[in-house]
Amino acid sequence: MKKLGPSALALLTPVHLLLFLAITLPSLFVFWMSLNESTYGVEATFVGLRNYAAVLTDPYFWRAAGNTFVVTNVVVYIEILIGLALALLFKSGLPFRKLMFAIVLMPYAVSEVVGVLAWKILMDPAHGAIGRTLADLGLALNWSASPTQGLVLVSIISVWQHLPFTFLLLYAGLLAIPLSVYEAANIDGASALQTFFRITLPLLVPTLLIVVIFRLIFAIRMFSEVWLLTKGGPARLTEVLSVYLYQGAFRNGDFGAAAATGWLMVVSSLAIAAFYLYQMQKRIAAENA
Amino acid sequence: MRRRRLHGLLPRLLRALAVLLMVAWSAGPVLFVVTASFKQQLDIFAYPPKIVFRPTFDHYVTLWNTWDAFLPTLRNSLIVSVGATLLAVCVSFLGGYVYSRYYSRLLAASAVYMIAIRLLPPIVVTLPLFPVIDFLGLSDTYAVLILLYASFWVSLCTMVVKTFVDEIPKELDEAAFVDGATHLQTITKVILPLSLQGMMASGIFVFVYSWNEYLFALIFTTQHAKTAPLVISEVMDAIYGTDWGVLFAGVTIQLVPVVALVVLGQRLLVAGLTAGSVKG
Repeated sequence: MKKLGPSALALLTPVHLLLFLAITLPSLFVFWMSLNESTYGVEATFVGLRNYAAVLTDPYFWRAAGNTFVVTNVVVYIEILIGLALALLFKSGLPFRKLMFAIVLMPYAVSEVVGVLAWKILMDPAHGAIGRTLADLGLALNWSASPTQGLVLVSIISVWQHLPFTFLLLYAGLLAIPLSVYEAANIDGASALQTFFRITLPLLVPTLLIVVIFRLIFAIRMFSEVWLLTKGGPARLTEVLSVYLYQGAFRNGDFGAAAATGWLMVVSSLAIAAFYLYQMQKRIAAENA
Repeated sequence: MRRRRLHGLLPRLLRALAVLLMVAWSAGPVLFVVTASFKQQLDIFAYPPKIVFRPTFDHYVTLWNTWDAFLPTLRNSLIVSVGATLLAVCVSFLGGYVYSRYYSRLLAASAVYMIAIRLLPPIVVTLPLFPVIDFLGLSDTYAVLILLYASFWVSLCTMVVKTFVDEIPKELDEAAFVDGATHLQTITKVILPLSLQGMMASGIFVFVYSWNEYLFALIFTTQHAKTAPLVISEVMDAIYGTDWGVLFAGVTIQLVPVVALVVLGQRLLVAGLTAGSVKG
């Protein structure tokens, strides 16, 4: 390990320049924007916390926040359940393992646009293969008319799209548990269920925590699934925070209120991440000690 | 082994069912789109779905002849994705090397900052960037997408490259120094060839993301730099007379290369993902 000198700093400059100009500076500037009233082509005027007052008293904001909260949680926990089941399935041995692995990863390669398109058509109650079957069973998913059912389809698409990520992290965590622990349990005559609840699950807690934090943070920013499927409708009832922000800024031209929404999103993302970042900081500090 | 024999027929049947469900769930929507692009217009929405059908290439021919907007956007996607990938990988290589080989309080703090920054919602930065990009005349250019895509991935890529450089024994750089190699020579001749895997793993993430991205493309492009996902979304939302067969043909062309990339690069992808998010 060498002490940081000028030549090393020069090598670091490009990374930090990109991060600073494209993410850090804009994210901080959003806070300043949120204290001003601004729209296209008009000089900004300082309004203090008035934008926050406007956003926090807007029923559509609370609708969007509520939708985000429910969808995010539903999606993340369902993903973890399915992902864990898949990881266990893979760990117990599968025929054509490599092929199966590739198949499970497939949705990761698919654009959100294409994912929404495929599911939208498959689930269509009048024309889609799955949608018509569900309709015949009396379970038609009327996502364009009912906000709840719209959000159900959004959640299905979101789980589909992000399951590979969740699965991979959980599978890696599962493989990291030493085999000797299982051998010991086997010798002691533990049943499969006992082994799962007494060994696998407790040892998987750190991985589970990381997965929950990562997925919550990435789910909070959900935009494309909702925008492409419902545009936030009917009557703005399926909006999530990103869609609410987009509508405010790019459709209504109210950048101040959108910035207030944005800053609230930044703060809540960092609040969720705080625990993970704290752990990270401790580990990196130990490495550099 | 003894336990396996005790397993009855039922658990094995359940396992087979689980595998079947898993395959249908993951590959179903993709297969649906790809097969639909080879079906006659009438067969696409046939119910129950036609599994056996006479394939036709008509939609691809129509796409080539009539959907002028599609191929240029595909080219735009390629330019933007390759650009963002190269930029992110080069920059992250330099950064990853420093994070692996140097130490300081400042460096440790900046590593945490890099990870934290990556967690911010992308839509937030569009608000202040929108007027700035317009002012700089960068709106609707490849440059703005390349810069944004690369920026949102450099922190993860730097950490991925770092874990790969960590595996290279430090004695190698020291030996090169002793032999009179300059700093730059050590990096390009010793470190670079040995960290290619890490760079490729990072590259796959950036490429897949840039190729598929929708939000930034929606906000910052209107015509010249419009990417394929954007034009697909526009056609899919057209209220009157979407030509589904042609749309599916376009989607298939957009989809297949990147699915192939993920399938072929799965080992690198897994290595990169575990290096980047679990380990740090």
